[in-house]
Amino acid sequence: MSLAMISPAPPDTTTKTDDAVFPATAPVLQLVGVRKIFGDFAAVDGINVDIKEGEFVTIVGPSGSGKTTLLRMLAGMESPSEGYITLRGELINDVPANKRPTCLVFQSLALFPHKTVGENIEFPLKVRKMGAAERKARALELMRMVRLPEHYYAKNVMRCSGGEKQRVALARAFAYDPDVLFFDEPLSALDYKLKKALEKELKDLHRESGKTFVYITHSLEEAMVMSDRVGVMSRGRLVQIGTPEEIYTKPATRFVAEFFGEVNSFEVRRDGRDGWILGDGRSIIVAPTDEAIGDTATVIVRPETMRFVTGPSTADNLITGKIYNEYSLGSRMQYQVHSGGRIYLVEAARAAVLGLSSGGSVTIGWDAPDAIVVGG
Amino acid sequence: METRSQIRARAFVKVWTAFVILVIYLPIICGALAGLSKGRYFGFPIRIFSTEWWGKTFASLEIQSLVQNSLLIAFIVTLVSVVFAFFGALAFARYDWRGRKLFQKAILLPVFFPQPVLGLALLLWFNALGINPSWQTAVVAHLVWIVPVVTLVIAIQVYSFDPTLEEAARDLGASRWFILREVTLPILWPGIWSGALFAFLLSWGNFPLSLYTAGVDSTIPKWLYSKMVAGYSPMVPALGTMSTLSAAVLLLAGGLAITLVRRRRADA
Repeated sequence: MSLAMISPAPPDTTTKTDDAVFPATAPVLQLVGVRKIFGDFAAVDGINVDIKEGEFVTIVGPSGSGKTTLLRMLAGMESPSEGYITLRGELINDVPANKRPTCLVFQSLALFPHKTVGENIEFPLKVRKMGAAERKARALELMRMVRLPEHYYAKNVMRCSGGEKQRVALARAFAYDPDVLFFDEPLSALDYKLKKALEKELKDLHRESGKTFVYITHSLEEAMVMSDRVGVMSRGRLVQIGTPEEIYTKPATRFVAEFFGEVNSFEVRRDGRDGWILGDGRSIIVAPTDEAIGDTATVIVRPETMRFVTGPSTADNLITGKIYNEYSLGSRMQYQVHSGGRIYLVEAARAAVLGLSSGGSVTIGWDAPDAIVVGG
Repeated sequence: METRSQIRARAFVKVWTAFVILVIYLPIICGALAGLSKGRYFGFPIRIFSTEWWGKTFASLEIQSLVQNSLLIAFIVTLVSVVFAFFGALAFARYDWRGRKLFQKAILLPVFFPQPVLGLALLLWFNALGINPSWQTAVVAHLVWIVPVVTLVIAIQVYSFDPTLEEAARDLGASRWFILREVTLPILWPGIWSGALFAFLLSWGNFPLSLYTAGVDSTIPKWLYSKMVAGYSPMVPALGTMSTLSAAVLLLAGGLAITLVRRRRADA
């Protein structure tokens, strides 16, 4: 049996010749059942996603999750083993990178070391045989857009700082004037402060240019700051895709929930319609949950929704234990609370403010709506 | 503040370096001096210095044809070997393909063949194929030995080449030819240039391969050897010195060109 036979039918491409029929809301990029197989290993294992015109979509995943392979297929540096990739309704599976109206900003940036800043930015214009004067005018315009000073035009690109190189790479990508820009975690090599500043600039640039951005990163934090939608990838599959808000408040799986950082997770089994009990028989109170979840589940409570219960206040679920360790997170503190052979994480204002001391006995708890129940 | 032992160590390094340079260059200086002797026969100390033999060497029609042969061979060998070695170096260091490991070893092997044996073996082959040995066959023989060397020289540069640059250029719309012209070649240029210098100098100074495969055509090293064996005159050391000096000038000029290119790139 050929691979094509088990793939879904290609999307309807009849509308591409007639713009009037082509709906305005049609996705600019559409992926249907996309797989990439290396030997007997599926690096990308069935991705279905529509990316809308002008959207900023970020794909997050740990290393080895297949996000880079996915991006390379979108940019035309690999072709899918199965499935279909369409750009504005046109099948582009086997269209090479230099014939696609898309551009990738590499992790290493891939700036041409023997060229000046200006020559780097003008590269795609030179490919199109644009005249020298026109090229220079356009390059200077793009340099203004990415906030590079004009006198950098003749500067050796290898003499630029990390942040400046980012801007050159960005300007060069814009010079190509692509419909879709891809980013392969280009900010990963920068220090924290510069990274934060560039994330915001990138988001501004996205809004001002109105172009479609597809960004990949292993940092969910980076994804949350910039994106309209975030997709979480694991083992070649898209586990969940949604707005940053949805991903944070309604993670589809334990993997997604834990991707944000440390969480408190409890493995529970079903006890009646809306009841869940722990392994030791204690019951946990959570908000009514989706029927689709089976008989076993994981209850996730984020450290920031776990709180110290003092004085007259109370919570739906209570645990008593001892403060075991404390870490400063800057404005807030994270506490490890030891109870019944387990460590619970609580993020709160400094315990001293609440009149608690390290090593002392404390009560922690959380309210039913703050717990997230995921299957498995 | 330098301590006394540091000063002593530095002085020792200077003396040692001077000694090594003297040992290496003294024989060449002796050769050069021998060419400046007025006497017909080789002997030290030189009694009367004269530029007579240099003049005769310049005037000699035989030597003019030798220089022409050597230049022609070296020039063709340089051109052909750089083209072969450039693509060979890409196969050696840039692309991953089946048989690459074998290729890497096979290309190294001719470098280690004793050259007289290689020369003789090639002569036997030319004979078997019914080809008369001449300067053209010498070109082929030089290539067999020099292409692998130049391949290695260029491969060193290729190893430090980042293939994502080609990918990025392609992604920005460039064709293969445009990428080669605008990205790959300019970045590998210093390696190609040093490879060309190597090719020229190795061919220019090669004796064993030319001895066997150049037939009736002679080259500078071949002539030097034959005149040493029979019919010595101070034209031998004079021509030898000229040959060494022109090689040195070429090397210096080549080195200067590379430095200038590097500096111009770094200054921008």
